[in-house]
Amino acid sequence: MSSIYFIALPLLFGFATPLLAKLGKNGIAYVSTLMQAGLFLLALSLLLSTTWHVEVISIAPPLGISFVLNKASLFFVLLFTFMMMMFSFYYLGLRKTDPYKSEGKFFILINMLLAASIGLVLSSDIFNAYVFFEIAGVSAYILSAYRKTPKALEAGLKYLITGMIASIFLLLAITLIYIYLGSLNLAVLSQTFHTLPYNIKVLISLFLLIGFGFKVEIFPLNFWVTDVYEGSDSLVNALFSGIVVKSYLFVFFHILYLFMPHSEFSTFLIILGVVSMVVAEIVALKQTNLKRVFAYSSLGQVGFIFAVMASENVYALTAALFIVLAHSLAKMMIFFIITSIQRSYNSVNIEILKELNSPFLRVMLLLSMLSLLGIPLLAGFVGKFLALKSFAVSGEFIILAVIVIASLIESIYYFKITANLFSKDTKREKVLLTLSQKVVFSTLALLLIAVGILPWLFSGVINDAAHIMMDNAAYVQALMEVTQ
Amino acid sequence: MIETFLTYLNQDSTITAIVNICSMTLFFIGLFGLLTHRHILRIFISISIMEIAIFLFFIGNTFNKAFTAPLLGDGHTEFIAMNDPIPHAMILTAIVIGMAVFALGVSFAIEYYKLTGKTDINDMNEMGEL
Repeated sequence: MSSIYFIALPLLFGFATPLLAKLGKNGIAYVSTLMQAGLFLLALSLLLSTTWHVEVISIAPPLGISFVLNKASLFFVLLFTFMMMMFSFYYLGLRKTDPYKSEGKFFILINMLLAASIGLVLSSDIFNAYVFFEIAGVSAYILSAYRKTPKALEAGLKYLITGMIASIFLLLAITLIYIYLGSLNLAVLSQTFHTLPYNIKVLISLFLLIGFGFKVEIFPLNFWVTDVYEGSDSLVNALFSGIVVKSYLFVFFHILYLFMPHSEFSTFLIILGVVSMVVAEIVALKQTNLKRVFAYSSLGQVGFIFAVMASENVYALTAALFIVLAHSLAKMMIFFIITSIQRSYNSVNIEILKELNSPFLRVMLLLSMLSLLGIPLLAGFVGKFLALKSFAVSGEFIILAVIVIASLIESIYYFKITANLFSKDTKREKVLLTLSQKVVFSTLALLLIAVGILPWLFSGVINDAAHIMMDNAAYVQALMEVTQ
Repeated sequence: MIETFLTYLNQDSTITAIVNICSMTLFFIGLFGLLTHRHILRIFISISIMEIAIFLFFIGNTFNKAFTAPLLGDGHTEFIAMNDPIPHAMILTAIVIGMAVFALGVSFAIEYYKLTGKTDINDMNEMGEL
């Protein structure tokens, strides 16, 4: 029954927030943080138990809702709950100096976002996934526009319009699937999808690709991303980059591996990913706004993950999951740092780093950028190395070369930032950092180093996740046993 | 003459064809509006039209006029010769979601208009170039 807790508890908490407001001013914040920490511990305890393999919950089979919690989805659940816990701890420190207006609403939204991201990962029914897709979307739109400044509202509007178009294409794909196959269950689809005529298969796959393409920020469909990142609060960007994109990536590739004609699509998707990586890194060179720089860097990294996942073998997938982990940790840290800087100096221009008076933040920013770049002994290296190795093994040297060149371009703008970071200009007053913020930064930094130095601590979990994500037969069997 | 035409119209395949053609026309009307209009509310309306086209397409393709509503009672004791309830449930959910997102978008647009006085999406360029 444990998989239902991951969705039900955050949702329940979100909707019970008005009642919890009676607990006092700090009640909501602390209870929410405790709940997220509890969910993380629950996920961790599931990871440690050895007898457990897969858990399927089905409400009123053969119809109804079913959730599958296996090692692959558990990896993402762990990641999301951990990230959300870090986010809450960071916010607890931030709220003393600069709380959001109407905090209750803010906690409803972040818990809804958590529930929907986990729901996307767990749900084994494509319409159910659509519902979670929309819940995650709605809470992200509101979070994006939360500040109600012209920029924030513009970001929210852009996010909402692209999200609506994405959901139309996804709905069209679901409609066609139901008309032709009469089922929405992923297990059934996995067994019957190949019987469809070729052109229908391609049509459905294209609609799914367009629908998810907007959300996984892949090249021609990612024009909106940087505006959204710039307009939204940098605190919220940490969620977008650390949690939301990752859940869409998982769902898209899960569906792709399960039933879409992936062998025909694979090359096309790899090229899409690599192109979006190169374009994002080149455009990032010109940016002067820190949020925009890291938004483009996020696009580049997501393109990289997309390309690696699309090459669909277990080694590449292991690499991709390592990159997902490293990227989430590093990007979350970077956006927290930008938030701290912005709250103290009220600017996110790249020049502000020259006057940054906080050795701690400077070291943390440098560490996370080095990790994103893939310097050895840091988390980013493991994933990048494994990914390049898997491309080399499968003999795709052109793609390998393009990725290396894109990383070189990436290093140029990181050097630009680093030069600003260590310039000898006169410094401003010290950046205010509370204890809980320091704890969050240190935890993330320690994890970055730990993944880099001791990758075998994590490789067991990630290997299992990659193997199980590719193992369609086991997924179908587990789902069929319960729903029939 | 008219009777043959009416029987032709009453065939399932004709009805499905009409529904398909109409819903796809509606979809492209919405797409045309989305691509040509620059007013933010018109864009939301165009997107809603596209959504409604998909709802129509789905219901039209899964509905069988020879079957009854999927309800027991009135002499029906078994689920035989009844329409599939799943598309209806799905479309109801999708309508609710679409309406909620539409309302949210309009409320953003109103707030944005109050702050800046802009309604044209070409003018929405608070953010940097590229």
